[in-house]
Amino acid sequence: MASVTLKNVAKRFGHFTALEQLDLSIGDGEFLVLLGPSGCGKTTTMRMVAGLEYPSSGEIRIGDRLVNEVQPKERDVAMVFQNYGLYPHMSVEQNIAYPLKVRGIGKTDRAARVRAAADKVELGPLLARKPRELSGGQRQRVALARAIVRTPQVFLMDEPLSNLDAKLRVTMRAEIKHLQHELGVTTIYVTHDQIEAMTLADRVAVMNEGRIQQLGTPAEIYDTPANLFVAGFIGSPPMNLIPGAVSGGTFKATDVSVTHPDFGADGAGILGIRPEDIEVVDPQVAGIVGSVYAVELTGEANLVTVLTGTSRVIARASRAWDGKIGDKVGLRPDPARIHLFDQQTGLRIEPRRVPGAGNH
Amino acid sequence: MNVRSKHRLAKAARYVALAVVVLIFFGPIAWILATAFKSAPDVYSLKIFFTPTLQNIRDSFATPFLVGERTWNSIVVTFCTLVFSLPIATAAAYAFSRFRFPGGSIWPIGVLATQFIPPVVVIIPLFIVFRQVNLLDTRTALVIANMSFVVPYAIWMIKGFIDSIPMDMEEAAQIDGASRLRAIWDVVVPVALPGIATAAIFCFVVSWNEFFYALVLTQQDATTMQVGLMSARTERGDVWEIMAAMGLVIILPMLVLSRFVQKYFTKGLMSGSVR
Repeated sequence: MASVTLKNVAKRFGHFTALEQLDLSIGDGEFLVLLGPSGCGKTTTMRMVAGLEYPSSGEIRIGDRLVNEVQPKERDVAMVFQNYGLYPHMSVEQNIAYPLKVRGIGKTDRAARVRAAADKVELGPLLARKPRELSGGQRQRVALARAIVRTPQVFLMDEPLSNLDAKLRVTMRAEIKHLQHELGVTTIYVTHDQIEAMTLADRVAVMNEGRIQQLGTPAEIYDTPANLFVAGFIGSPPMNLIPGAVSGGTFKATDVSVTHPDFGADGAGILGIRPEDIEVVDPQVAGIVGSVYAVELTGEANLVTVLTGTSRVIARASRAWDGKIGDKVGLRPDPARIHLFDQQTGLRIEPRRVPGAGNH
Repeated sequence: MNVRSKHRLAKAARYVALAVVVLIFFGPIAWILATAFKSAPDVYSLKIFFTPTLQNIRDSFATPFLVGERTWNSIVVTFCTLVFSLPIATAAAYAFSRFRFPGGSIWPIGVLATQFIPPVVVIIPLFIVFRQVNLLDTRTALVIANMSFVVPYAIWMIKGFIDSIPMDMEEAAQIDGASRLRAIWDVVVPVALPGIATAAIFCFVVSWNEFFYALVLTQQDATTMQVGLMSARTERGDVWEIMAAMGLVIILPMLVLSRFVQKYFTKGLMSGSVR
């Protein structure tokens, strides 16, 4: 087990810059999730840690060892691939045993360790099968078993759950979390699914356009997004973002007027409020007014979309809330959970400290 | 006509068609088979029933026809061509499939483009070069000449297969602790085996049937069976029964091959293109 440190790492493919100036340090035993849309550089980052790509500049260290151009086999990492990366011509047992076999570990020792790894992911009865005879979930378990059969310094997981159906994903997510906790191995996990990131991570690095937008615990990322990108990417439904302007401590836009003691400097800004931080109230007593555009019952709540001025604002009302499309309603945001962003830079403007921000 | 007799007629037509096809394909083979065992006077008769003789087979193994030595030459040349071509072609196919070269696909296309040059054009220079290096009339010369047209096709056939194998697997193998070469050997080659087998069969057929280079580059010692067939055109005219006996030896491996591996061959071709 070891820490992983990326210092000033950049990766260019010809003229295309996939990553610029990445600094990231992952503690020993930490579960770090790289989260971002496709093409944001998260997979490239992981592949460079694996040794499948070499950085164009900068330093990558596993523990204290500089591994910039070290072959994958010398790095002592294990990886789980999105498409499982299983060896189709080998049985499940041979698949799991392969890392031990290439390292010259004896047959009897190998069999015992394969058995132990297979049991840990509940694959015991399937050892003799070929990968094509397994379901998606079982295949991913084989890939996991192959990763844990020896104790590597670092686990790398490249969207391991994205090929599974929704239900299985939730189960496997819990299993991965449990397994990582049990083994205590430093883990880097790449995903574009923010729920996976929130549920699995000790810390999340939100990435976009080859840069880390924010690095922090899931709660920090959720509660104090560093910029508009993070604000819009995390949360489902996403944070409501209303463009307007601040003057004299009050944020104003059409049909919107929100006063907050923290709103200092005047100027154009974007107000951000999460749906669950909005209460649907009478139009007379609210800072935001509008008419109901749609009502969606999700089971545990009603998602109420309200048209205010030119923006649509989604609020999460209780199950019991009943209103019809076209009704005039008021929205009251929780003053403790209001976010304000600069319209030009997209950065959070707020006196409250933003942990992990400042990659700019 | 009722439905039933119509049905019967269709069935009959189908059988007639099958019979025609069988006749076209098996007729010549049956003819060669019969001629090989006929005595000389029977050869020009259309007799279906005749007294079979092994004299032709015996004669063909004796001087001047030497079927034994020449078949051995053919076997050695074909075998060596395969043994050298397949690893080379597999390695090249892997490289063309996985690495980016300056100039891009110019290189694999260039390799194939060498095949647009007709053999007649290169045979004279080839003859001179082989004479210079004292390789005329050797099996080595034939192996080299065969490889010049076997390797490019094999590269393309195998490349198609390797293209369809996801990178994941070999990357997984490398992270699991294998070197790149070991990953190729442990993962890429076994998975590409149907493609390599397809290429092997193709290479076998073309180098076994190769005639032109063998005709020009050999005189006596390295003459292959396929060229040896010509020796049955003697000053006394064509000795058909000997020719048939030799022909039998030449088509034998093809018959065996088609019996056992044809299914595999078509499967290999299909999965290469479809996947």
